[in-house]
Amino acid sequence: MRRLLFAVLAFGAVTVQPAFATDYEPKLDNLIETYIQPQTSAFAETTAKLPDAVRAVCSTADAASVETFKTAYSETVRDFAHVHFLRFGPLLDNDRLSRLAFLPDPRGITQRQIRKLLASEDKDALSAGTLKDKSVAVQGLTALELLAFDKNSAVRLGQEGKDKAFTCGYALAISENLAEMAAEIAEGWQDPDGYSAVLLTAEGGNERFHTSKEALESVFNVLVTGLIIARDQDVLPALGTGKDKAKATRFPFSRSGNSVVYLVGELRGVQEALGALDLMDLTPNDFVWIYNAVDFEFGNAVGLLEALQPPLRQSFEDGDAYDKVTVVAITLKSLRDTIALELAGALELAGGFNALDGD
Amino acid sequence: MRSMVTKPLSRRGFLAALGGLATLPAFSGSTLAESLLSRQALEDVPLFVSAYKLENGDYGVGVVDDLGQVLARISLPGRGHGVAISPDRTRFVAFARRPGTFAVVVRPFQDVEPEVLTAEPGRHYYGHGCFSADGKLLYAVENDYAAARGVLGVYDMSGRQVQRIGEIETHGIGPHDLLLAPDGRTLVVANGGIMTHPDKGREKLNLDTMAPTVAFLDSETGDVHSSHALDASLHQLSLRHMALDGQGRAWVGGQFQGPETDLPPLVGVFSRDEAPLLTEIPTGIASGLQNYIGSVTANASGDVIATSAPRGGQTLFWKADTGAFLGAEAIADGCGVAPIDQGSFLISDGNGALSLVGDPTQPAEILARPPGISWDNHMFALS
Repeated sequence: MRRLLFAVLAFGAVTVQPAFATDYEPKLDNLIETYIQPQTSAFAETTAKLPDAVRAVCSTADAASVETFKTAYSETVRDFAHVHFLRFGPLLDNDRLSRLAFLPDPRGITQRQIRKLLASEDKDALSAGTLKDKSVAVQGLTALELLAFDKNSAVRLGQEGKDKAFTCGYALAISENLAEMAAEIAEGWQDPDGYSAVLLTAEGGNERFHTSKEALESVFNVLVTGLIIARDQDVLPALGTGKDKAKATRFPFSRSGNSVVYLVGELRGVQEALGALDLMDLTPNDFVWIYNAVDFEFGNAVGLLEALQPPLRQSFEDGDAYDKVTVVAITLKSLRDTIALELAGALELAGGFNALDGD
Repeated sequence: MRSMVTKPLSRRGFLAALGGLATLPAFSGSTLAESLLSRQALEDVPLFVSAYKLENGDYGVGVVDDLGQVLARISLPGRGHGVAISPDRTRFVAFARRPGTFAVVVRPFQDVEPEVLTAEPGRHYYGHGCFSADGKLLYAVENDYAAARGVLGVYDMSGRQVQRIGEIETHGIGPHDLLLAPDGRTLVVANGGIMTHPDKGREKLNLDTMAPTVAFLDSETGDVHSSHALDASLHQLSLRHMALDGQGRAWVGGQFQGPETDLPPLVGVFSRDEAPLLTEIPTGIASGLQNYIGSVTANASGDVIATSAPRGGQTLFWKADTGAFLGAEAIADGCGVAPIDQGSFLISDGNGALSLVGDPTQPAEILARPPGISWDNHMFALS
């Protein structure tokens, strides 16, 4: 890294600097138009199907309704994975991200809270309007997963039992709450006066950013954080300290058998969002190789994940599944270093809140 | 100066007030009620304080529990840095990052507005401070920038309003962190050695001649008991952050201002009457740290020291009595470190995570990642 920094400095020294600073707004505009808006809209459309899927499986839990619910849930997880790392603007407003999915949750806060909620048959859990004022942990996809799937990844929502009515009412409230939030997020990104305006009026300075470069840096660093989350939070806990200590239950959405869907979704999402920033023309020739290298590594990681047999709770100890995920973790570290150090260095983007700006 | 403040809570009020709190944006992310209800002894819940930056650009100081859940957020007028916690743990003072001029006194368990302090004319805060043993006085590390000398502002905290009643010279330039020694009277100050002036922002004005020290001062007389400098070859190692070990020695983390290719020692141990000791960071690790230590913290019993190195994405652990290197934990942009108990540390990072480290040979456990928060340089155990 030190050598690379020197290279960058040397490069800067011999290059004629442009008379005006680069305007990064077109890059941000492209990201919003070609990635954020379509993906948040897709998430809203998919999530809108959840309430009917809950109603159907709760009305008659036959093979067709169970399958429909599983598909609706899985597609919602997939589309959530495409947007969850966009940790700015509409996803943060009103605590939406925590309410959509309470992650990470290594100590089982959600499970404890849901147990209490079920034991007391808390009526506030039965409508989206009152659920949204309760703890963020009991509101979202992670809560719905605990309610709707058993430990073996089978759908239990709608099964006959004394708590069926309450569980179904609560699951419906969650799904309506999710649909409402997803719609608000999509609308927020469509709103020309919303957060997109904050990103797109940064050049020359606005209340949030001094320059469009600063706005681009904030977005770029959020994508890097997405990769850190994917590796450190979503993959490493399941790998544990060795093959004999692997914990497949620690993959996000493992209970519903959607871990691969989620991991692939977030990796493809970060890759596509980075691509949508379309930074190639701003990259010095010596560093253009990074884009192919990054796409190659994303492809490797996704290929390894897609070769796994979900649900991982049942398959993670078989064959070479553990080794494949180990390679995914190594690949994610390499991707993070390439993007956060080499690409950011080549583009002269600042990153790392404490690393950059300590005291 | 505007203090943007969320309503403080009584400790018992944490539970009682939840229904109302859940509707306040600042608290709606909290899983407070249930996570605390599930515990046996509410009063024993460890709490931590850290400054943060929000994604929307706002700054504040937050209280989190040992599951990493944000229980309270108090907005600050600008970027915060260190926090001084009163001996009875009922209040804390969050200082502005240098060269800021505000400090905010928070009583997190009482229903009172935080009090905003403003630095005297001609002074700015350096970001750290500490209380006297009886909690009546606050010592704030300040810059007398016209004279280019460090001072400790002395504040009377016992009245209805905080009053600045004097100052103590630190006998150095660019003081940074401050500790009260176990004798309850000696103040230990790290004079980082770097001259700055608010007219020039954070520009370093004396790198060629800087001369950092760790000084042991008598809080009652202002006398210097002793002042230790490192070897002249290390005069560019700015001595900045400190923690006391179980023997009352100050562990000090440095930030090197010399050539990037040098690999100087970065962590030393200072005591009043003995020459400083320097620890050795294994070369393979040292080369990745960019010669920068962010925070220094001791575990509850003072026999393990943690030193974070955010530019290297590593936190290093030391055996306090021997100075032996115990290992390192990789945490991207990790900087704030607080002791949870004798056996573990909570580490905060700029990507929002709060991670538990109980054993440097095991991966850190990410407990929580409150969205939109970047934890700033330091975290402190409040209870």
